[in-house]
Amino acid sequence: MSTKKDIIDRCRANIRERLIRPTLTDLNPTVYDDPLEKFISQAQVMGCRVERAKSTDEVDAIIKKVYPDAKIVASSLPYVKSASLNPDTVPDAQALNGVDVGVIRAEFGVAENGSVWVMQKVKERDVCFISENLVAVMPEHVVSNMHEAYGEVSFNDYGYGVFIAGPSKTADIAQVLVMGAQAARSMTLILIPDL
Amino acid sequence: MSTSHSIAAKKFLENQTYATWHDKTFWGVRAKRDKLAFELPEWERLRDKASAIKRHTLTNIDMYLEMFSEAAEKNGVEVHWAKDAQEFNEIVFNILKSHNAKKLVKSKSMLTEECRMNPYLEERGIEVVETDLGERILQLDHQDPSHIVMPATHLSHDDVGEIFERELNTEKGNHDPTYLTYMARLSLRDEFLTADAGMTGANFGIAATGDIVVCTNEGNADMSTSVPKLQIAAIGLEKIIPDYEALSVFVRLLARSATGQPSTVYTSHFRKARPGADKMHIVIVDNGRSQWLGDPQHWESLKCIRCGACMNTCPVYRWSGGYSYSYFIPGPIGINLGMLRNPKEYSGNVSACTLCLSCQCVCPAKVDLGTQIYKWRQALDSYGVANKEKKMMVKGMDMIFDHLSVYNAATACAHFLNGMGPLVNNGLNPWAYAHKMMKFPKKPFHKQFEDMEKNEK
Repeated sequence: MSTKKDIIDRCRANIRERLIRPTLTDLNPTVYDDPLEKFISQAQVMGCRVERAKSTDEVDAIIKKVYPDAKIVASSLPYVKSASLNPDTVPDAQALNGVDVGVIRAEFGVAENGSVWVMQKVKERDVCFISENLVAVMPEHVVSNMHEAYGEVSFNDYGYGVFIAGPSKTADIAQVLVMGAQAARSMTLILIPDL
Repeated sequence: MSTSHSIAAKKFLENQTYATWHDKTFWGVRAKRDKLAFELPEWERLRDKASAIKRHTLTNIDMYLEMFSEAAEKNGVEVHWAKDAQEFNEIVFNILKSHNAKKLVKSKSMLTEECRMNPYLEERGIEVVETDLGERILQLDHQDPSHIVMPATHLSHDDVGEIFERELNTEKGNHDPTYLTYMARLSLRDEFLTADAGMTGANFGIAATGDIVVCTNEGNADMSTSVPKLQIAAIGLEKIIPDYEALSVFVRLLARSATGQPSTVYTSHFRKARPGADKMHIVIVDNGRSQWLGDPQHWESLKCIRCGACMNTCPVYRWSGGYSYSYFIPGPIGINLGMLRNPKEYSGNVSACTLCLSCQCVCPAKVDLGTQIYKWRQALDSYGVANKEKKMMVKGMDMIFDHLSVYNAATACAHFLNGMGPLVNNGLNPWAYAHKMMKFPKKPFHKQFEDMEKNEK
């Protein structure tokens, strides 16, 4: 406790003038005429495969089409009938190692960078990362930029959320871009109008 | 005459093929940054806002630190405070010890480099595994990072291939980056699954909500924290920002400035421990920062968001490499942070600047990096580290410039020096190092000007 006080006191003593916070009212960030279209193209630039579906009934067929060799599918979403593991009921995070396809829900997309907001809704969130391939099922709800996005993010009691923009990447070896560093090696978005 | 940087740079430049590759690689990242920046008409306004938000936050950091720690504690997180590197290392070790943790997986954190945390923990029996691919390569080869965002970019794929052959038993001669990345993935997967604790740094701490925000492309911060039972986050106190509105400005700037991406792949928000996991810990570190706040000339270095753009654009960094700098952070921001840390020890880096100011033109938080380096140079004498020959010559020049008659006599005679090349272009003249002195005209400029005016009349 005393270190905390020392540090904060020392900061206070060294502040000479308190500067006011700027407003963002004159920032005029880029907004897109068709955010959905921009989102889809940007998500593809980030390495996502984008699929459109009319209802959740089609999700299993899309997974089968995109990942025909997948043996283990993990999901807690009730409409993913192909799932043999549920990240909500597995004993621990390690139990999800070896999952071929993890299927999660994303809340909305961001047009400027092709990312989706994922709020943790299952006990073991590593399903988003440890799965070889990640599928995010999401409504056709897209905002233009990160300013709008941070007005929309929500949390629940799990206290974790993440923007994900495509598969895991690295260029740490000689600046050569490689998909699939430590987390998912591919990402597929399934957009459903009334989800 | 030579500084620690110029001596090291000379060595770097011995291999011109490599130096040229190094320059091209980082200039390529700068070009990607430009492409992304110019796609946003509001780019310069974003930089202005980022700077102003940081200036506001830093000059109210006492209040924001209270807010942040209160919010984090409300989330059930245990918040620790470390006044210096030693305290930081002790706190982390004690958390690990109290949970009987033997293996720690961690994502990249310049703060843990600053505190030399890994050797501290390793000496005490903790196995520390870096999980960012670049950091992992360096750890396997016992090297330090040469860049804050692309830590192993000084190595070629053959270098990495040889390290992996030795350390990970990969196929002999297979140096394909995709193959090597996959082999590292398999090896790190085992580490994630068997680690007792996971640690991240923090790109941002959100005062309003207590979030630790970490940006990665590999997903290693998330793997490190979603599998082991114990999570620790380390954050320098200057990384606290007010809220999500402020965060939205910084996340738009960070990846575009760093690597020319519109966003990192993962922008992760950690508020609390996972269900069934142990309590989450956040360690807030001062280690000099609260003092630097009080430096009227240099406090704005604290605005830095560690994107590395100043290095990528810096001609001296590109042509001398990260290891030519004696501070653990290289490039323009490293020169400045090193001087804040210890001006006597790190003054050998301030020469690593042409004052082209490209760094401050690209800095997303508008840190006036080059201007500050200039100011540090002016202060070298007060730390007793000014160059002796230059000091002597400046004293001589003082005499000349302070007395008009001496000055006129000197400029009138200067051209006699032209015939004495070896006398002027020698090792005793610090300005003649690596370039030839000018030829002095027979008639000094002010004389020429006078004549010109006379002729016009």
